[in-house]
Amino acid sequence: MSFGDGPDGLLTNKDVSEKSHNQPRLFYGWYIIAALFFATFLSIGARQGFGVFVKTWEEDWAVSTAAISFAAAIGTLVNGFSQPVFGWLTDKFGGRPVLLASFFVTGLATAGVATISSVLGLMVLYGFIISFSSGGIGFQTTGVIVARWFEKKRGVAMAVLVSGGSVGGLVFVPFLSYLLIEVGWQLAWIITGLIALLIGIPLLLIVVKSKPDDIGLTIDGVDPNSEEGLHGSADAVGPKFVDKWFDALSSRPIWQLSFGYFVCGITTTSIGVHFVRWANSEDITTGTAALAFGLLSGINAAGVLVVGMLSDRFQRKNLLGGVYLLRGLAFLTLIFLPGDIALWAFAVIGGMSWLATVPLTASLTADVYGVRNLGMLFGLANMSHAFGGALAVFLFGWAFTNWGSYNVPFVVGAFTLLAAGVVCLSISEKTNSVRFNRISQSNELDSGSVNAGAS
Amino acid sequence: MPNPLETVLHHSEPIDPTLWEWLSAKIDHVLGISPGAMVFILGTFIVLSPIIVGIAAFMKRRDIKR
Repeated sequence: MSFGDGPDGLLTNKDVSEKSHNQPRLFYGWYIIAALFFATFLSIGARQGFGVFVKTWEEDWAVSTAAISFAAAIGTLVNGFSQPVFGWLTDKFGGRPVLLASFFVTGLATAGVATISSVLGLMVLYGFIISFSSGGIGFQTTGVIVARWFEKKRGVAMAVLVSGGSVGGLVFVPFLSYLLIEVGWQLAWIITGLIALLIGIPLLLIVVKSKPDDIGLTIDGVDPNSEEGLHGSADAVGPKFVDKWFDALSSRPIWQLSFGYFVCGITTTSIGVHFVRWANSEDITTGTAALAFGLLSGINAAGVLVVGMLSDRFQRKNLLGGVYLLRGLAFLTLIFLPGDIALWAFAVIGGMSWLATVPLTASLTADVYGVRNLGMLFGLANMSHAFGGALAVFLFGWAFTNWGSYNVPFVVGAFTLLAAGVVCLSISEKTNSVRFNRISQSNELDSGSVNAGAS
Repeated sequence: MPNPLETVLHHSEPIDPTLWEWLSAKIDHVLGISPGAMVFILGTFIVLSPIIVGIAAFMKRRDIKR
């Protein structure tokens, strides 16, 4: 209930009119989501677009695909290592400066790729500099900004952000490909760098703020004078909120979430790499496999938004567990169904679960531990995802080379997904999440019973 | 034991060049638009959408300050 100047403290028409005038119709946080969507779109789209240039470089520099791919592989590992570093920096200095600095270095280095004339240069500029700096545009930075702006609609806000990566792959990769045909590879990289420097940076400078109180707003756009604003989300802490990131490591949820995310890395990266080769081994053409993988990508962009919306209404751990079990079912289709049916069954069932783990894991981590250390905690989870994926790619390839079949890796994938599903379902969300078990910060500080740290 | 370079050659992050060659041929076949026109269409979308977001957010910030 709100209090105004009217009789018995009730709101008068004037109060209502002033309040509705002051209250923005569309919460400013959604403009921040739009800007971060573009940053994710550009960052992931440009990284995926690397593959478009491989054949041109082979001809221009007279080198093998393996040599160029080695630079890309170094980049993947460096990017994995950079995630907790940028997560820590985000927790310390806020998301905005980290994002801007990363965007500036990445944009400059991207334009600089035009000057390269050897694989060694590519390794230095792409493998190390771009791959490291673009880690600062990852979800451990952008996700923290989103978590500081949204609590009630955190799930759907994270989902929109994540879907920027899917759209980036769908739009920016073709753009780079046609740009390569029209203007050559050097100018294509210069144009990409200039888009980041001349459009991306001004957009982020104008729109993005690390947290709502930087411009006098509150989390979720709650009116600070309302009852909800006085005693609501911005003021609450959860029972497991931590002051230092390593304090979280002594509790169960972070290990449960990280285990699930590690399995996510194993099962998505391995399929991304081996799907076409598996299809070929089942006498399915590369074209048909590519079409099925395209269907999977389209379904995952829609799936992540649906799961994001549902996650703001239901317990997130149930959806997360369900997503892992669903992906496990998709792996079982690859083992038990005939190849041509399994291909499409996997694309549909797997597509629904593909990216949905990202917003659920990020939101749940924020709900349980608060946003103060979210960058570092989610950065560590991202690193485990990347390394799990790299390991699985190698082991799937080893198994196929030695046994001539993917059946054993697929069985292992299905079992690890089953385990991830059960582990995530066992998370005590109602006890540990601020959504269900919130404590007023003032009570908290008075009693001193919890670790502290508010969003 | 497979050659480690063979593994990284198929790494997921950058799009697979062979796959992309096939996909772009299909896109060309279905749409039948010249590369220059595609650059213009996609480039316009990529450049205009952040400008629109920036202007809308700038106006919103002015409203909030009032």
